[in-house]
Amino acid sequence: MSSNFKLILLLCLLLPLAACHPAKKMVTTTDSIMAFGDFVQVTLITVPRQDQRAILKRVEDEMNYMQTAFHPWKTGPMGRTNQLLAAAGKFSANPSVIPLVRKAQRLAKESQGLFNPAIGNLVQLWGFHADFPPQGPPPAPGAIQKLVRQHPRMQDISISGIRMDNTNPAVRLDLSGIAKGYVLDFVMTRLQAEGVHDAMIDANGDLKVLGQHGNRPWHIGIRDPRGNGIIASLDARDGEGVFTSGDYENYYDYDGKRYCNIIDPRTGYPADKTRSVTVINRDGALADAAATALFVAGPKQWPGIASDMGVKLVMLIDSQGVIYMTPQMRKRITLEKAGKEVNVVSLP
Amino acid sequence: MTRADWIVIIIALACLPLVYVYNWRTQTQAIEATISGPDHYKRTIMLDHDQIIHVPGKLGDSVLEIRDGKIRFIKSPCTTKFCIHSGWLKYNGDVMACLPNGVYVQVSGGTRKYDAINF
Repeated sequence: MSSNFKLILLLCLLLPLAACHPAKKMVTTTDSIMAFGDFVQVTLITVPRQDQRAILKRVEDEMNYMQTAFHPWKTGPMGRTNQLLAAAGKFSANPSVIPLVRKAQRLAKESQGLFNPAIGNLVQLWGFHADFPPQGPPPAPGAIQKLVRQHPRMQDISISGIRMDNTNPAVRLDLSGIAKGYVLDFVMTRLQAEGVHDAMIDANGDLKVLGQHGNRPWHIGIRDPRGNGIIASLDARDGEGVFTSGDYENYYDYDGKRYCNIIDPRTGYPADKTRSVTVINRDGALADAAATALFVAGPKQWPGIASDMGVKLVMLIDSQGVIYMTPQMRKRITLEKAGKEVNVVSLP
Repeated sequence: MTRADWIVIIIALACLPLVYVYNWRTQTQAIEATISGPDHYKRTIMLDHDQIIHVPGKLGDSVLEIRDGKIRFIKSPCTTKFCIHSGWLKYNGDVMACLPNGVYVQVSGGTRKYDAINF
């Protein structure tokens, strides 16, 4: 073998090493915008730099518009809808809220009412509607029971075109358990229409991804609901949303008991059997609503509700710190803390 | 095999660990912090110089401390003080925020372990 041939052979063998490095120069832009009362972090990759500012501005505008449209307690399309719902009867609703209300109705039904955005009055009674967490004490039991007995449900509303008909004046919509997912779905669709293939929007912990981060998947850490650090991690796939409902972000302690902002519509009290639920799904609104419903369902009831809602990638951590996962989720999750036992539960 | 062949092989083998480290390293120390606040407040500060920073927020000043390449909230006008309990940030990509006061901190500068933290 001539030495020239050996050199060429060696170079051919070394050539695959080039695959270890991104083939093209990535342009990564990460910016934070304020929306939904949170910091929303938007990361765009491989978009020409001149377009990125304009795209980020459009994302911010979309999210701010929807924040105003869907805010249940402030003046705006949803706030006005709530005023009209309180009067019961038929009215013309603002078209911008109707698709979200329709979707919430379907998911409320599939969750057997555990995801129930019609309990806005209960949320307000507990004080979780405000920008700042309440300090306690909890509301009077009589006041809670009075609202529970009124049974506000999404089925109390019927929609035909832009006409809404409400048969229960106790219905007050608080769509915060689905709105973030719905908005992320919408914004991601817009980004795709603009030619963005790789992006992530992280709305204060709840997120959706497009494509991947350069030559690897988007790598997501899931926060430990107690203490510091990351309890698990996963690679999010193209189009997936990762949504978690937990008792550690918006809550207060009173007389040694934790009261979180996720209200069980059956009792009128904050759900207390769960620390956190993480759901992965391409439908962000579904994942968002399912995380809330399964949190309320708790460690015994969640598999049936997850099955009814059609979510297969679920992790639930109960109030004792016991971890439950579907088999599909177990394949996707890497536990980051040693000594954690996992109960793998198949859905019915 | 000539001496040049061996030199090429040795250089290639020597570079392999570097390629591995470059592509597979995980948690690395951040070198700067980006602080955002209300009214388009945005400031990027290197973490190599110990200092105290006052950030104007919606409720008042959040006070941040930078020490030994880390950053944390030490005073906040918010009621819950979650931001202070968050502790130190030091690894690339770590974030913390005081939502009531509208102050957000992200540290960066190396290769981050996670692209986002879900909670």
